[in-house]
Amino acid sequence: MNARFKGTAAGHLNRLLFLLLPLFFLAAPAALRAAEGRVPPEITVTLTPDTLFVGDHLHCTIQVRHPKSEVVSLEGVERFMVEPFALISRKRTFSEESLGIGVESFQYELAVFGSGRLALPPFSVVFHNSKGELSGRVPYTPTASVFVQALTDSTMHELRPISPPVKPSIPLLLILPLVLAVLGAAGVVLLLVFFLKRTVMSAEKVDSGQVAQRKLRKLNSRLSAGMPPHECYEELSNIMRTFLENHYRIRALEAVTQEIERDLKKLGVAGFESIMNLLKQADLVKFADSRPDIDESRHSLQKAEEVIRSSRQPEG
Amino acid sequence: MQPAVELEELGRQITEASGFLEKGERALSQRIIGQHEVIRRVFIALLANGHILLEGVPGLAKTLIISTFAAAMNLKFQRIQFTPDMLPADLVGTMIYNPKEMEFYPRKGPVFANVILADEINRSPAKVQSALLEAMQECQVTIGSETFPLQRPFMVLATQNPIEHEGTYMLPEAQVDRFMMKVMVDYPTYDEELEIMLRSATTASEEPLKAVLQADDIFRARALIDRIYVDPRVQRYIVDLVVASRKPAQYGMVELEALIEYGASPRASIFLLLAAKAHAFMQHRPYITPEDVKAIAYDVLRHRIRPGYEAEADNIRPDDIIRQILQNVQVP
Repeated sequence: MNARFKGTAAGHLNRLLFLLLPLFFLAAPAALRAAEGRVPPEITVTLTPDTLFVGDHLHCTIQVRHPKSEVVSLEGVERFMVEPFALISRKRTFSEESLGIGVESFQYELAVFGSGRLALPPFSVVFHNSKGELSGRVPYTPTASVFVQALTDSTMHELRPISPPVKPSIPLLLILPLVLAVLGAAGVVLLLVFFLKRTVMSAEKVDSGQVAQRKLRKLNSRLSAGMPPHECYEELSNIMRTFLENHYRIRALEAVTQEIERDLKKLGVAGFESIMNLLKQADLVKFADSRPDIDESRHSLQKAEEVIRSSRQPEG
Repeated sequence: MQPAVELEELGRQITEASGFLEKGERALSQRIIGQHEVIRRVFIALLANGHILLEGVPGLAKTLIISTFAAAMNLKFQRIQFTPDMLPADLVGTMIYNPKEMEFYPRKGPVFANVILADEINRSPAKVQSALLEAMQECQVTIGSETFPLQRPFMVLATQNPIEHEGTYMLPEAQVDRFMMKVMVDYPTYDEELEIMLRSATTASEEPLKAVLQADDIFRARALIDRIYVDPRVQRYIVDLVVASRKPAQYGMVELEALIEYGASPRASIFLLLAAKAHAFMQHRPYITPEDVKAIAYDVLRHRIRPGYEAEADNIRPDDIIRQILQNVQVP
């Protein structure tokens, strides 16, 4: 029974050794490498989201898988704070993945300014042993990138070369005299128009009496041609008022006879009574249904001409 | 040159019939110093069967003018002091129950008179002011279900104070429009002030004024006023003035367009013509001229033109707008 028992136990031990032996061969080199600090670190960089707008936040996670006995830090991450990136916040976590292996996770929240496809700047992963001595430095250039869209619809992604100025087909020196000549001619024409208008206006101003006399003569001939005498007075009133307005610079067309009387009195106009008589006669015809005969009308027209002529004399 | 023959005859009749006005003016001048234009406007309103609103600061003899005017006429006069607690029934009257006969009978209010002085009309609420509407427009008053005609001539002369607004009620537009004229009562001149002071600074009470005007005089004058000749040119001039207050741009006054919220109503045209006729009557003239229209244009239009916000911001008053209109609308 003892022999049998011994035989069974030896069998179990052999079987156990047979099972542990491959594990030993598998774990021993890794343990040795870890002990010597030669385990190659695994570095992964993830960026989320992969597409964003200018100013949006980008989450960057750098994971370093390393022997637990070592302390990991990153070098060169200050570049994350340089344009087009701006560091908003950072966080560091550690988790044990398996026996002797840990995973260090560095999380950065970045704001992105710029446009187009952007990659993170290179950085280095630095390892220190438990004594604080530098045990390794692994430079790393991230391959992950992010696409940043501009807020405005701009298709311009690069500086375009400045094209040389277009030369005019006709040399400027030739055009300039031509332009100056045209401007000069236009100026001369404008001056001529201005002086012509001024001359006409001054002629009209000077001739307000003459104009009135001409109109009165026309009215007289119309009266002879059979115009009803009472109709003639309305025109006579208009002619006189226009004359007074232009000659004495008073508001006569929009003024009633009383107002004209007041204004002429103020100005001390010669022949004031005759003017007022004419206007009052015209008012009687216009507003009091008065019906003058042709002789009265002729007399009034004659009187009006005299008044105008006498008022023009001091000017001449 | 003379007016048309029939107008000459009318002119003679007008001169004869208008004698009472001089008597009236003389009687009024015994009590009132200055304010000749206001007195003339009151007579115009009386002749044209219109009502008048006098506006001015306290102490300018508004009430005295009206009470003296009423005393000078042999007509029934009632003074109604408008107060905030007044009711329409206090003005027009109400139905009273008679227990003996077991029925209601109307008790007529003070509005049943020939000349009404509505003193400080803006001190009463709108419902009281509006109670005058029917009386002013139709010369009748309805109490309960019964309508009573008012005695003729019937004239409302109202006063209001423009500076005190606390405890006052602005007259509704419909009410204001029924006044033929709104006359601004201004301060007296230096000499007038001196005379007022010397004449009024006495402890003796004044003798009652003798009535010099009769209702018949007024009716006769009104009949003649209706016959006063109005040429179509003047008719069109009146309409031009009123339309220009509504559509100033049409008359070349583009800058006025923004200053007027709304222009004068058709009542303005009617009252302009009536008042111009009365004005011509007072000048003993059997026809009206644009001078008559211009003379009363401010008083007839000022309460019918409402200036807009821009005008108020620039302190432009209705009188400034009317001046612009009168200066720009061509006289026939």
